[in-house]
Amino acid sequence: MTDEKKNSAHLNRRQALMMMGAAGAALMTPMAIGRDKAFAANADATGQLVLAFSQEPTVFNPLMPHIEVDEGLYYAVYDTLFDFDPDGEFFPILAAEVPTVANGGISADGLNWTLKLKEGVTWHDGTPFTAEDVKFSLELTVDPDFRSFRSTGYKLMQDITVVSDTELTWTMSEPFAPMAAILASTYIVPKHVFDGVEDKNATILNTAPIGTGPFKFKNRMAGDHIELEANADYHMDGPFLKTLIIKYVPDLNVMYTQFKSGDIDVIGLQYITPDHLAEAEGLEGKEVTVAGTATFESIGLNMTRPQFQEKAVRQALYLAIDKTSIIDALYYGVPTPTETYMPRQSYYYNDDLPTHEFNIEKANALLDEAGWEKGSDGIRTKDGVRLSFSNSTTAGNHLREQAQQFIQQTFAMIGVEMTIKNFPPAVMWGDYWMNSEFDTVVVGLNTLAGADPDTSDYFMSTMSPALGGSGQNTFAYQNPKVDELLTKGAQNFVPEERKAIYQEMQAVMREDLPFLPMFQYAVVKGWKDDVTGPTPNVNNRIDTWNVRDWART
Amino acid sequence: MTTLSTNSAERKPLIKSRALRRFLSHKLALIGTIMVLTLTFACFVGPYLLPYDELYIDLMSRFAPPGTNGHLFGTDPLGRDIAARLFHAGQISMAVGFAVMIIATCIGSVIGVISGYYGGAVSAVLMRVVDAFLSFPSVFLLLALAAFIQPGPVMIALIISATSWMEVARIVEAEVKSLRNQDFVQAAHMLGLSNRWIMFRELLPNAIGPIIVAATLTVARAILLEAYISFLGYGIQPPLPSWGNMLNGAQQYLATAPWLAIVPGVAITIAVAGFNFIGDGLRDAFDSRSDLG
Amino acid sequence: MARYLLSRLGQSLILLLIVSFIGFAVLTLAPGGPLSQFALSPGMTQEQIDKIANQMGLDRPVVVQYFDWLSHLLIGDWGTSYRDGQSVLHVIGSHLFATLLLMGTATVISVTLGSSIGIYSALRRGGAFDYTMTVFAMVALSIPTFWFGLIAIYIFSLNLGWLPAGNMYTVGDGSVLDYISHLIMPATVLALVDVAIWSRYMRTSTLNVVNQDFVRTAKAKGLTGRRVLFKHIVGNSLVPMITLAGLQLPMVLGGALVTETVFTWPGMGRLFLDSLGYSDYPVVMGLLMASAMLVLVGNLLADITVALIDPRIRLD
Repeated sequence: MTDEKKNSAHLNRRQALMMMGAAGAALMTPMAIGRDKAFAANADATGQLVLAFSQEPTVFNPLMPHIEVDEGLYYAVYDTLFDFDPDGEFFPILAAEVPTVANGGISADGLNWTLKLKEGVTWHDGTPFTAEDVKFSLELTVDPDFRSFRSTGYKLMQDITVVSDTELTWTMSEPFAPMAAILASTYIVPKHVFDGVEDKNATILNTAPIGTGPFKFKNRMAGDHIELEANADYHMDGPFLKTLIIKYVPDLNVMYTQFKSGDIDVIGLQYITPDHLAEAEGLEGKEVTVAGTATFESIGLNMTRPQFQEKAVRQALYLAIDKTSIIDALYYGVPTPTETYMPRQSYYYNDDLPTHEFNIEKANALLDEAGWEKGSDGIRTKDGVRLSFSNSTTAGNHLREQAQQFIQQTFAMIGVEMTIKNFPPAVMWGDYWMNSEFDTVVVGLNTLAGADPDTSDYFMSTMSPALGGSGQNTFAYQNPKVDELLTKGAQNFVPEERKAIYQEMQAVMREDLPFLPMFQYAVVKGWKDDVTGPTPNVNNRIDTWNVRDWART
Repeated sequence: MTTLSTNSAERKPLIKSRALRRFLSHKLALIGTIMVLTLTFACFVGPYLLPYDELYIDLMSRFAPPGTNGHLFGTDPLGRDIAARLFHAGQISMAVGFAVMIIATCIGSVIGVISGYYGGAVSAVLMRVVDAFLSFPSVFLLLALAAFIQPGPVMIALIISATSWMEVARIVEAEVKSLRNQDFVQAAHMLGLSNRWIMFRELLPNAIGPIIVAATLTVARAILLEAYISFLGYGIQPPLPSWGNMLNGAQQYLATAPWLAIVPGVAITIAVAGFNFIGDGLRDAFDSRSDLG
Repeated sequence: MARYLLSRLGQSLILLLIVSFIGFAVLTLAPGGPLSQFALSPGMTQEQIDKIANQMGLDRPVVVQYFDWLSHLLIGDWGTSYRDGQSVLHVIGSHLFATLLLMGTATVISVTLGSSIGIYSALRRGGAFDYTMTVFAMVALSIPTFWFGLIAIYIFSLNLGWLPAGNMYTVGDGSVLDYISHLIMPATVLALVDVAIWSRYMRTSTLNVVNQDFVRTAKAKGLTGRRVLFKHIVGNSLVPMITLAGLQLPMVLGGALVTETVFTWPGMGRLFLDSLGYSDYPVVMGLLMASAMLVLVGNLLADITVALIDPRIRLD
């Protein structure tokens, strides 16, 4: 830990150590991250590895709208400028060094950025990689003719200037602390494949992606698998596998069975279902580990509904959730109970929030006190508002549906009627979700971009589509204090100060309960014991973040 | 053949009693009747005899194997009594099956007989309508409609009916088409009988065998389709139980709690097989022509 | 004949138009949409969703979108998948083989086995074989296909470990033997139900023929059983069989859907479900049109064949 580092990157060593402690040493396989290419080290890429996902990666242009599983492929084929390691610290990939205030990459006011790139990097087709590619990629995200995944942050970047093949600069129209985290998940695409292409949405990247990553795209058998082969000219250490196969197994039970039988070497996204944990841990020749993710499960309330205007109601509902039974029985104890949206691995996690208790009497007393009286049907009412509402989630998510029915039963014990109204995913997460047409939902959300604590899109009052905003504040949460804290936090570049801001915000929201926090998701990962490399990383969305390091022994 | 048709008109009561006699002597049909009656009885009376409520969740006793603590068929992942759920589910699933059978067979028969009897433009138009419905993969229609509405039992029955009547129509049409040029129809024309009489009193009874076979398959289809849709997660939604949605989550627990999958599956098989057996018996019973063969 | 064919073709085209419009309207008007899958992604704001919807033309009126889609279809452009940006024909084509392999195998098994059982049962009506097969067929028809698949997986994969629980082949193997070992369970599960259907229909239609005058006449004339069988019964039973073959086509898609789901078979059934889940309208519409065409062509061919075989039915 040096002074130089302290105020530079968004996280410093001490914070990182704290996070490591929180995440548990067991999860951290000793490894070196982000090593540059050693002398001719790539010659020994051997063997094949089958990685399975329960969803199919189909979007191969990483700057277009995609889902989590698509990123599983991006980390193999493409590179970002830099990325988060499991400790939440940046390490360079295409960048020669991560721009910081200390190394002059970012000006003290956070407005002027200089980015230095590695030399001698080439695209899979042999074309040299230059600063032009980076400029092109960054500008593509705000190109009006391009179906861009997101524009948050990018639209603040101005005057992107290529200084040389390995250096570029830009200015920000306002200080924006999460920018580095956004860049850490920005995959750089080759400019030359867009040359002369009329429709930027229909390039060769859609079918045969070209990147600078550790693996080259070989072929895809739609609905089944994608085959990748080692990029012998990779600019970092690795890859250590000759062939990487990303297999699509749409059913979690089949996926687990194939993992058990050895057809699958690494079981990826959606992972081993919690009910198989005990059995999986006893499997011969397999490594099985539980890893926390940044996604938290909650019962989200539509704060525009008359039923939820009173804090007492929200608190009573929270008291009437038997969280322990849900986590221990239905989820086999895999997830961790939480009181906030912030993952406990984060530096910004507030550990002092009041702990939830399941207490029907207290909940009833709270509602009695607030003047909600039981009618003849046993349902409470007050001022013509009946304490009855629907709850929705994705139809077919069995564990969630079970939790839902269990909550329905305990809510009934406090005179609250909750009806279940589930929808197929495309309906559930369409306007119904975005425009806050639901009463309540059960939802798993990751509100963070990488390790950055900013969640303005989700909790800022101006971000609710139902209230005329344009973000993801679908709970339609409005709290001036939270707005103020979010604004303050996004403009502050000092981690210690930001920590205080975001911890206060978590405390405010815990008291206010716009959503009833249930648990932080954890997933059961597994791989054959001759596989080395897979490492949980709460700051990246998917396991292949370090696929360049994966190997078979 | 002329004699046959006049005979058939005269001896109608005789056929009825003979049909009943034949049906009763049909072993499979009897077994089927017993299966269906037993299941119906269990579904409608069973819930009152069981010690457990079908909605009561008890996480302490989840995944109890059949026979534990008075749980006849064990418990589900929420500790609910499977027997109680199975019987409640049966009321819904069988009601759906019956409703679909009645609706689909009525629609199908009427359209089929009209189309087959009149032929020509009427047939062309009606059969194109049938084609239109047939070329619409029913699962697609079901899933698409499920997106619009909250799928309850009534809606599911209506949707399944909408995708199940065409087969009956095609079969009746083909049968009537091949019968309408036969002597007894010509004779009926000559006797001055109305088209409606000929269609529904002469032709339709002669097509009753295929209709019953088709109707039985329709019950099977309806109960099965409900199961399919629910298995895919688009059918009747929990907490309301149906045999279909009881199977929905069962795949996950196949290795650890196989009774979750076995019990509703067996119930479906018994119900549908029962209806099929009955249908088969009825077919033989009503098949007057088989006497002559 | 030619005039009849032309008019049937014309009718079929009108029908396709109607089917396509209904399908398109249902899909497009249904709540949700292709962009909802991104709703839970960090950084995906409503603003961004609106922008993409605008770029993709999803914010236009349904009728405008429909005619846009239709005009492209007429020049052979089936559109581009929202999910992977590939042409719809390519997407469907890449799933075609798996489905054809599965359905083909199952159909061959079920038609040959089912027809044989059906005819034999009808001829030996009331015998032990007929009785056994009748019971078998009805029980088989009463089992939900996917449940049967689950039980098969439970027994042969989970317990005995003889056969793979899913997929079409082992990655990295792909030998003929490997394909066969993956094919056995789904094809058998699918065929078993189809065998039942075919044998029931074949039995019914053979019985209808047996009871008709000309067969009795033929028998009375002293023709041997074998000649009666082949000359009359099989020939005449073919008529309803062929009609039914046309009718079976949409069930092929339905059967594929469920079987492919249980056995995670990478075919068109799974593609259909996946595409529905993602609201990938172009692919769903493509599959819908493809299956509707298949059914129409199948029915048309069935009608023509029937007319050619059975002189009693005139095409008027």
